[in-house]
This record gives sequence, structure tokens and C-alpha cells, in this order.
Amino acid sequence: MWTADSILETFVFPFAISLATLSVFMTALIPVLWIERKLAARLQGRVGPYEVGSPHGYLQPIADVLKLLSKADMIPTQADRLLFLFAPIWTGTCALWGVALIPFAPGLAAFRSDISLVLLLAVASLPGLGQMAAGWASANKYALVSALRVVGQVAAFEIPLIAGAITPAIVYGSLDLNTLTEAQPAVGFLFGHPLGIPSFLLFLVGMLAEGNRTPFDIAEAESELIAGVTIEYSGMRFALFYIGEYGSLFLFGLLACVLWFGGFRGPFVPGPHWLLLKGFAFFCFVTILRWSFIRLRIDQFLKISWSGFVPASFLLVLLAVWWVG
Amino acid sequence: MGFAASLIGLLKPVRVTVSHLFRKPTTVMYPHAHRPPTDRFRGGTFGLTTDPETGLENCIGCRLCEMICPSKIITVTLDRRPDRGYAGIFTLQYEACMQCELCVQVCPTDAIVMSREFGEPAYSRADFFLDKEKLHANGKKMGRVWGSGSTLQAMHGKKERPAPAAAPAAPAAKKEGA
Amino acid sequence: MIAASQIEPVRPSPLDSRTGERREMTLHMGPQHPSMHGVLHLVVGLDGETVKWVDPDIGFLHRGVEKLCETLPWDAIAPVLERNDYLAPSTNSHAFCLAVEGLGGVDVPRRAQWLRCLADELSRISSHLVAWGTMGVDLGGAFGGGTSVFLYCLRERERILDIMQEWTGTRFHPNLSQIGGARYDVPAGFDRLLDTKLAEIDAKLDEMISMMEESPIFQARTRGIGVLSPELALGLGACGPVARASGLALDLRKTRPYEAYKEIDVPIVVRTEGDAYARYRVRIDEARVSIRLSRQILAGLPDGPIHGRPPVRSSKHKAPAGTSYAAVEGARGELGVWIRSDKEMSPTRVRLRSPSFANLSAIVYILPGHLIADVVAVLGSLDPVFGDVDR
Repeated sequence: MWTADSILETFVFPFAISLATLSVFMTALIPVLWIERKLAARLQGRVGPYEVGSPHGYLQPIADVLKLLSKADMIPTQADRLLFLFAPIWTGTCALWGVALIPFAPGLAAFRSDISLVLLLAVASLPGLGQMAAGWASANKYALVSALRVVGQVAAFEIPLIAGAITPAIVYGSLDLNTLTEAQPAVGFLFGHPLGIPSFLLFLVGMLAEGNRTPFDIAEAESELIAGVTIEYSGMRFALFYIGEYGSLFLFGLLACVLWFGGFRGPFVPGPHWLLLKGFAFFCFVTILRWSFIRLRIDQFLKISWSGFVPASFLLVLLAVWWVG
Repeated sequence: MGFAASLIGLLKPVRVTVSHLFRKPTTVMYPHAHRPPTDRFRGGTFGLTTDPETGLENCIGCRLCEMICPSKIITVTLDRRPDRGYAGIFTLQYEACMQCELCVQVCPTDAIVMSREFGEPAYSRADFFLDKEKLHANGKKMGRVWGSGSTLQAMHGKKERPAPAAAPAAPAAKKEGA
Repeated sequence: MIAASQIEPVRPSPLDSRTGERREMTLHMGPQHPSMHGVLHLVVGLDGETVKWVDPDIGFLHRGVEKLCETLPWDAIAPVLERNDYLAPSTNSHAFCLAVEGLGGVDVPRRAQWLRCLADELSRISSHLVAWGTMGVDLGGAFGGGTSVFLYCLRERERILDIMQEWTGTRFHPNLSQIGGARYDVPAGFDRLLDTKLAEIDAKLDEMISMMEESPIFQARTRGIGVLSPELALGLGACGPVARASGLALDLRKTRPYEAYKEIDVPIVVRTEGDAYARYRVRIDEARVSIRLSRQILAGLPDGPIHGRPPVRSSKHKAPAGTSYAAVEGARGELGVWIRSDKEMSPTRVRLRSPSFANLSAIVYILPGHLIADVVAVLGSLDPVFGDVDR
């Protein structure tokens, strides 16, 4: 029998929390875009966005998205129409699925599960599928070469990403992100445990590769392949890729904050504000890396992965298991 | 490179970029702030000058500027009057100017000058077609500028043709660069 | 040295030797491309990511400059030719003026000669700054560390442009050289200005080296990439930093000195590896040499007039009849102008010897076997400027 309580519990609360989580996340993307542009500018000795939303260009991300929305929608004649339309929708939305699993406050996540870490990792590699679909469907050789690179890149860097993320799970004996947040020492897993830094580095490398950020942005490779897989996309479809890229990146950032930096924990009151602050700080760090490094070539990149990071990942997992046992 | 050396090497670019966070940005926030042009700056539009004492136009319609202009943007006709020559028509298509200042250099009467301010942007090509009235209006606005014919010619350092130091040998022979 | 007949264009069969199936994809890079250094249409034959052959298609920036010069009066040509190699502008007009003065009838005062060489050196530094910046963008992409390097390089280049603005009135195409001398004399306090600005550039050069060279990623991307052997370089007519990075000690300032370089000793920077890293490194060392040379030239500037002809009043100057060739060491190599004059209002024929054209022709031979990412790295290291290639 459906009672009022059970309806509330089964439908209304999860729906409300999901809506709230999604709204918070999407709204958080606006400062993320602003940070990207402003930080990039300051690293290069420029001022960055200024006029739009004077005096610091706060409204620039909104202007960017509005601009993209107003562009003409073009589909190449020879493109595989279904895949072409599917790819940006897939990439744009599956970046958002993982947000449901992130705990924003003690015990508060849109989708609570005992294996939320595994679910999150599974969902986090899905945007790559959209990129491959876009590369194939665009009927453009640049996109095709880029898609081939994406395939190699995603395959190569999944293992360091997962190994890095699994280590705190092994050490603290749980796959639930909520438990992992609470179980960390006060300074966070990164500094509170000898395996913190190696696992973080592996995760960082995997995250940069999955998120197509320099030094691993060969799939986009603006100077060789112009826009990579998104070369034929314009307007709202490109905006979806754009949002998907930053959403996915911010999601990884939130995951990193949860696993290594204590998530929603902080002085005074724990809650989503700490998680978001840490998320923004981490995003700043990733942006600084992006604007400091030039990129590797695809063969060098795959070589260091398969002969460097993958063995290191196995070693790390073995070490973690030995540590616990 | 060794692994440790590589890791340290990776930190160097980061140090350079992060150090820029603590410096003032190089950007000059135009139009709120302007970079002051130098004395000799010749980036701006053109003007025709008048003699401050007599109030007459300086241009004598000799057409030297028209002949020297590489972009062929100047058109002058000579209006020969009893006292001296004047320019009848004087038009200058500013949009095609390459700012070489040759017209200023050849002018014998300091009539044509270039301003130190960047020209105003315009919405139509007609605004860049400077006829004699517009040029004189510009000239009045400009005031005194550094770059005028007599200054540039005086820089050459001599007024008369020098005797060549050594006569060139075999004038029709193929010569190498000096 | 390899004779021209011995150089075969590289064009292997599109069919796989073992299975007989077609394994080649033709990719058109450019002419609109973020990394083609201008407008180069490069047709690349790819097997996966490996380049099998390369077919450059130039001419997109052909402006008919040589023909245009046949219609302009003699004194009006130098400003037009400055747009030829537009990144090191003073060198073009300098070469032209040397060629015309070689026909005779004009005596160039020593001060003018030294001033022109000073402008050359400043143009060289400015051009190399752009070369590193664009190489950074090629390697690192428009959304990455490459752009940071590019902006730092352009910021330093602003200092050179400020120097030119103080001196000549315009930042970029100063039109300093004129037939018979130089147009602008240095203003008061110029040596202090030059000293300050060049010192700033020198200091920041270390920073840029830190960003590029000391990063292991840069080393991995440029060491051993695009090796140009000295025989091939000589056979193609490569010159400038490209040739000097392959072990050829070709520098016109030393081998056939002109004007101020007859009295100043110019150390030539030579490396033997011939790869992209060597070309990049040669430019860095050359820029340091140029900074020193600029100070030296300014310190030793002789007194006297700066023009050998009466003040340029007339556009009716006619150069004596004859033919003449003069070359200067431009930022990219030997930039030469050959002139034929029949004592008319305009030259009968102007022919430009383009250093970028010779350097660019190397890509057909050195690119096969590399990956796509190396195509842009090699192009960046060869540093062509398409105003010069296409004229």
C-alpha cells in the first residue's frame, strides 16, 4: 500500500534531492567556466573577461553559452545523422549522471549506494563514447583521426584512473563514497596516509587524460587537428560538448576532493560548501597545469601509459592490499 | 632524461606560469586607458596644414606626394593662380594607406602631415575618403606634429648633392651588393 | 652536396607491400589551419598516424610583389617590399636598397649603413620571438602551455616594437632603409632606451627557455624530429637558422659581410644535430647574439649624415642601367634582391630570393616517417613566413 510516508520517501525526497544536486552542479559550472578563463588570462599576464559583467567579467560564461545557442545549426551532408545527433547529447548528459553519486553532506547523496565509487567510475568513462561517435559520424578526416586517438587514450588511462581511485577504497575497506569521506584522517587521505600521494598522482594523470586536458589533450589537439572530434559541430550541439567537457572535469574534481581531500568535511559545519570550495580549488590546480604544459605526441603518450603508469597502478594496488592485510 | 629529472623539469613551466599570477597584467585596458604615442608616431590620419601667419594653405599642388605614394591613394590637381600654385582637388583614400610617410617626406612645404592619434573608426568607406575640406579640418585639429617634410628632410643631414667618394667602375657591369 | 637530379620526391605506393590493400589516407592540412604559419596547403598521405608523403601547395599569399615593383617609382618600392618577409620587415627593404645602390651612383654614408644594420638586428630578435611563440602554439596547442609561451614572447616583442616606435614612428614596418641611406636618425636618449628594453628581453629569455626547453615534454617532442642532413640542406639551398642547425656555417654577416658587419665580428651559432631542437636552440642563441650586436652597433655608431642623396624630393629618381644582386642575412636566411634597371622610372625586373621558400622545400624530404604531431613541430622549427614563400 502506498502511504503518504512511503510516497514521500520513494518519490518526492529522491526527486527533490536529485533536482537540488543537479541545480547546484549546473550552477557551479558557471564559476568553473569563469575560473578557467580568468585564471588562464592571469597566468599569461592578461586580464581576461572584463566588460561582460564588469568589473571582472562574471557574466562571461553566460555570454559564451548564449553565443553558442545563437549559431546556425549545420550537419554535414555525408554525416551519419543518427550518431551525429546522438553524440553531443550523450556526452553532455552522461557527465551529469555521476553527480548523483557524490555525497554533498554527511549521508546526503542523490543516489545512495554501497558501491557508489564503482558506479561513479563506470559512469565517468562514458563521455568518451560520445566523442568516438562524434568522430566517426562527422565524415571528416580530422575528426576520424581524433576519434582514433580518443580510443587509444581512454583505453590506456582507465587503469591508472581506477587504480588511483580504488586505493582509498582498499585502505578504508569500503566502496561507498560517504564512508570513504568520513573514514579519512583530518588532513585528508592525501597527506594522512603514505599511499595518498601516489594514488592521487595516478588518479590525476588518469583524470587529465580522460578529460582531454593538456598535456594529454591530443584528442583535441587544436594545433594539429583543429577542434578534434567536435570539428563539425556548431551552436547548441557544440555547447553540449562544451558543457559535457567541463562537467566531466568538475565531476572528476569532486571525486578527487571526496577521496583525497575530505569531501564535505571542514572546520565548523560540514556541508556542500566545503565540497564545492575544494572542487573549485582543485579545478584551479588542473587549469594551472593545463596552461603550463605543451602536449605529448600520441605514441609517447601511449608509451608512458602502458609501460609506466599501468605497471605502477598494479604495483600500487598490490601495495594497498598488502598494507591492509 | 631520468625520471627524477623529468619530474623536476615538469615543475619549471608551472613555476613560470604561477609567477605571473603575482605580477600585474601587461594589458592596458583600452579604452579606459591609452598607451601614450611617441613623438614620432605616425599611426593616424592625414591633415593639410595652413601657414599660421598668412592663413594660406601650405599646399602648392606640386603633386610630389601623388607620384611617390606606393599605394596610389592620393589624387591632386594643380590650380595655378597668379601668385602661386594651389591644390585644386586633393583627395586621399585613407583605407588603403600603408602609413609609410613617404608623402610627408617629399612635401616641400610641410603641407601634408600625419597625426599622432589613431584615426577614428568608421562605419562606411565614404568616411575614409578624405577630401580637401576634411583634410584641412584634420590639419586644424592636429596642431603641431613632429613629422613634417622639412624635419624629415633636415634629418638627411645635407642640402646639396655630395661629390661621390669614388667613381663607380664600369657602370654597365654586373655588380654585387655593397 | 646532392645534385638536384638526385633528389627524388618521396611518394611510396599506397598499397601495403604485404597484403596489397590500400593503406593510405589523404589529409589536407590548411590553408586555413591554426598551425600552418600562414597559408600553406599541405596534402599529407597518412598511414594511420604516420606520414608517408607530403605535398606542399603554396601560393595562397601570392601578391605579385615582383610585378608590382615594375610599376612603382624607385623610392616607393622599399615600403612595399617590407611586407615581403613581414616578420622581419627591415631586412627586406635593406636588401632592396643595397641592390639598387650596387648599381652605382649613390654613396651611402657610414652612419646610415650602421643604422640599417641596427634595424636588421632588432627585426631579427622580433622575428625569433614570434618563431618561438608560434612553435609553442604548434607544440602545445591553442589551449595549453603553448599559448602561454606565445603570449610571453609577444609581450617581449612589444618592447622591440616600442623601440622602433620611438625611433621611426611606427611599430612594425618602419621603412627605415631608403635608396642612399636611412630615413630616421636615432632620437636623443635612444641608447638608454635600447639598453633598458634589451636588458628586459634578455632577462625574460631565461623564463621562456624555462617554459620550453627545460620541460621534458618539449625535449621529447623536438629531439630527433625532422632531422635535416647537411648535404640535403646544401642541395636545397636552405639557409639561416635551418642551415646553421644542420652544421653548415652559413651566415652572410660573416661569409660576405656588408655595411656594419665588415667592422663588427659576428659569432655564428652552429649546431650539428639538425633536428627541431637544434633549430630552436640556434634561434635562441642567435637572439642573444643579436641583443649584444644591437648594443655594439649603437655604441659604435659613426657620426655623419644619414643619407647619400639630396633630400628625397622627387619621385623621379632613376637608377643607373645594369643588373645587381644584393643579399642580407634575414631572420630566416639569405634574403636576396636581384634588380635589372634600364634607367627608367621603375625597375625593369625585381626578383626576390626567398629564404623561407628554400627552407620550406625541405619538408618533402624530412617529414615522411614522422607522425602528424611532428608535422606541425617541424613546420614550427623551420619557421617559414608565407609572405616570403609566395611573395
